[in-house]
Amino acid sequence: MKTDGSMTMAQAAGAVASGRTDAEGLVAEALDRTRAIGSYLNCVLQLLDEDALARARAVDQKRNAGEPIGPLGGVPIILKDNIVLDRGRTTCASKMLERYESPFSATVAKKLEAAGAIVIAKANLDEFAMGSSGENSAFGPARNPWDPTRVPGGSSSGSAVSVAARIVPGALGSDTGGSIRQPASHCGVVGLKPTYGRVSRYGLVAFASSLDQIGPITRTVEDAAIMLDAISGHDPHDSTSLNLSPTSCAQTVSRPIEGLRVAVPAGVIDEIAHNGVRTVYQDAINACRSAGAEIVEVALPVFKSGIAAYYLICAAEASSNLARFDGVRYGSRASVAPSQGLEAMYKESRSSGFGPEVQRRIMLGTHVLSSGYYDAYYLTAARARRLIKEAFDAVFRSHGCHVLLTPAAPEPAFRIGEKSDDPLTMYLEDLFTVPANLAGVPAITVPAGVVIEGGVALPVGVQFHAAALQEDTLLRAARMFEREVGFDAQPPAGL
Amino acid sequence: MPDIASVRPIIGLEIHVELATRRKLFADAPNPAHDEFDNADPNTLTDAVVLALPGALPVINRSAIEHSMRVGMALGCQIASVSRWDRKNYFYPDLPKGYQISQYADPVCGPGITNWPINADGSNHTVRIERAHLEEDAGKLLHELPGGGKIDFSIVDLNRAGTPLLEIVTAPDFQSAEQVVNFARFLRNVCRHLRVSHCTMQKGHIRFEPNINCELTLADGSTVRTPITEVKNLNSFRAVQGAIEYELREQPKRWAETGIAFAPGTKTTRGWNDNSMQTTLQREKEEANDYRYFPDPDLLAIEIDAEWQERVRATVKELPHVRTGRWASSYKLDDRECETLIDDPDTADLFDTAINIVGNNHAKTVANLLLQTGMKLAKERGTTAAALGVSAEHIAAIAQMRDAGDIGSGAIEPLFLASIESERGEEPRAAAERQGLIQVRDEGALRAWCRSAIDDPANAPSVADLRAGKQQAIGRLIGAIMKSSAGKADAKAAREMILEMLAE
Repeated sequence: MKTDGSMTMAQAAGAVASGRTDAEGLVAEALDRTRAIGSYLNCVLQLLDEDALARARAVDQKRNAGEPIGPLGGVPIILKDNIVLDRGRTTCASKMLERYESPFSATVAKKLEAAGAIVIAKANLDEFAMGSSGENSAFGPARNPWDPTRVPGGSSSGSAVSVAARIVPGALGSDTGGSIRQPASHCGVVGLKPTYGRVSRYGLVAFASSLDQIGPITRTVEDAAIMLDAISGHDPHDSTSLNLSPTSCAQTVSRPIEGLRVAVPAGVIDEIAHNGVRTVYQDAINACRSAGAEIVEVALPVFKSGIAAYYLICAAEASSNLARFDGVRYGSRASVAPSQGLEAMYKESRSSGFGPEVQRRIMLGTHVLSSGYYDAYYLTAARARRLIKEAFDAVFRSHGCHVLLTPAAPEPAFRIGEKSDDPLTMYLEDLFTVPANLAGVPAITVPAGVVIEGGVALPVGVQFHAAALQEDTLLRAARMFEREVGFDAQPPAGL
Repeated sequence: MPDIASVRPIIGLEIHVELATRRKLFADAPNPAHDEFDNADPNTLTDAVVLALPGALPVINRSAIEHSMRVGMALGCQIASVSRWDRKNYFYPDLPKGYQISQYADPVCGPGITNWPINADGSNHTVRIERAHLEEDAGKLLHELPGGGKIDFSIVDLNRAGTPLLEIVTAPDFQSAEQVVNFARFLRNVCRHLRVSHCTMQKGHIRFEPNINCELTLADGSTVRTPITEVKNLNSFRAVQGAIEYELREQPKRWAETGIAFAPGTKTTRGWNDNSMQTTLQREKEEANDYRYFPDPDLLAIEIDAEWQERVRATVKELPHVRTGRWASSYKLDDRECETLIDDPDTADLFDTAINIVGNNHAKTVANLLLQTGMKLAKERGTTAAALGVSAEHIAAIAQMRDAGDIGSGAIEPLFLASIESERGEEPRAAAERQGLIQVRDEGALRAWCRSAIDDPANAPSVADLRAGKQQAIGRLIGAIMKSSAGKADAKAAREMILEMLAE
């Protein structure tokens, strides 16, 4: 059985389990597609070909021997390259870690492998997950499969591209301020950021620890549920992981919610600068109505304060988290004459190892935490964060809404280089996605429509949020929306 | 400048105690402050968390929290119901993460108060404790190869990185070096007895950093304070005493020379030189170190509920100085005896347990057994009296036999050895009987040994001296009796019989 990469995870797992296809064939084809398409789109930094094929053969042998192969047995997946694996390299798309090999695997990688999934590659990203376009990679930007002159969004650029280009049915990204959901929107795929603490961060190279969360990027809501079920659950190696069993969302995702109440923030339409995106969002609200939902307008003035608070908190945490990259124990160390001393070694190694955006955030974060500024910046941001969390609580508690619907990004994918010189405009890409991270609630981007830019169709997603730990509700509502919209556009073939 | 009429010392103390948990504060890697992992080869007590590898995360070791609570309870501190972690950010090669996880705003132990007998005359002095917080220790930077080979670069040993460190801070309540040293000794014993640290000074398990300045009263009646000196990393009582005494001598002179009085920014950091017995300047003024403290987002706050507190409190028993006070008053042990017995917590426990078995009236004998034979054998074997392996039951039995006059002093060591060396420990009475160490108190035999000693021409001069009233001459006769009886004679009974026989 020859595939074109169009199978979902659920279908691929079923095909392997039933013997209609072999894991080895699935993985070999995914590797071929990566070489053919992936190299052009620059979505993959490293192929784990031999290793992946060997693991696929092992799955086939198990299945042939009648042993269980796991719910994702033989399904090829890709990991964002800030998730460590005990083989190959983990670079974070940084020169700092260009040759870094991790001795251990992230908990999510172990869990997916225990479920039978096969990691075939590590995906490109914005360096250390800092960026909203994928352009901040030391190894070049990933390209959007809908229009290769455009960015795929970021920072989980390569993961979103790999799924949109049908190289693999599912990939893992990480989301600190929208890094799963914004590229998913720009690439026309599904991206889920779980509740903070739902998924272990052990083995995710930390950017901003209080905001980072790993999540799936897939083509369907059902696949997102399947992947979440596989990666969630308590991990004793991560103190912030919640003491809960793994989710079982795949079982319920297709069950519609009776009397679905969808909150819509008052005035949010006016915050969308792009006409096409505004139309898609308006249509999405209507689609919810036609699916039987009641639309409830709520006050949620969190977006502007959210973006300000977010860039202070994430920079503060990043400045500390990235201090370990000092050239002493691992990573790139600049060659500095011993006579120049220790400080010169630190400065040289970090100046040559980190790209401009990472350096910018480290400096910003160092400033935010420095004595005399801490109260004005960090504490103020922490207070704003608390208020945003309370505002979300009110939507789900006081208004009794199941989910909240917002845009995913203020505009569709932009051209490579278009915003490179303007970090502040770039930061506004995260306007609609950061509140979920600040509040710790789960949110999902689902493809909602296309806009035509320069004669090319570009996908646009919308974003649903739910109360903390309500992934089940979130995914069911997203599935209802997915069914109602019936988004079936694909990136141009023959890439 | 007016003459200095008087000097009032103002001294505070910071104490760093390495806690002897099996694992590190936030990592599964073994802790070198635990005796099982002492002397490990460099960089062998590490893991992904200690090395700060990308993706590694800290997880709190709860037994370090419990150890800290114990010390806090002994110091009369309030135990926090919620304790939090902060990051202290700075770059140094011995600090793998580029920050140290510490406690800034919410330490495990809040304010406390001690009232211990630390004055020279044995009276109590009140010392307030400001806080005791937990943090991770850093690794070590070595500037020569292990064993001493010369290198022109530095090497890093991360074995100590992540060891739990309890930092106790007192208020500036000490008025003399002697008070500080006594307090330091008390605290070391407290930590040992709470079994939270081995407190081996040479290994840096406990380190002291006094903050010293003085209030000078001038001839015109006005007062002025000298700048504070912090002396770093003292790991002997001699150094603590020396550093404080040196600073108290020098600070008035420095003030007289420079006129610099206490003011913000005048604090200096000094080191101690054991050879010259002087402090030396390390850092002029407080360096403008900005550690950029902020709450560690990788860790949750520790909640300490009443039930946990009570469970830990139940393990905080009689403090060592209270215990020695009890020994002194109930058993009439002198200071030196108390100090020797309390030094090792297991030996102190062995002492109390043996007395519990044999009864208070044998306490002095039990003490003597441990202080003489026990300490002698321990010294020979490079261990402690408790670690010899003589059980409290056996010590109780030996004390009882000794006090009943069944054995002589010469029998004690052989009975200790029998208890240690024979398989499963030979019961002392059985050992004494087997080795013929039971003293003969048969009057007939004793009379015969005494008679032959008196009649022995070799002893005639001693007999004559004794008759002339020189009491000390009896020693030679008793020696002869012990020899002819092969140690079985009861020396005390022999003395009485000789005097009786000569008086006849």
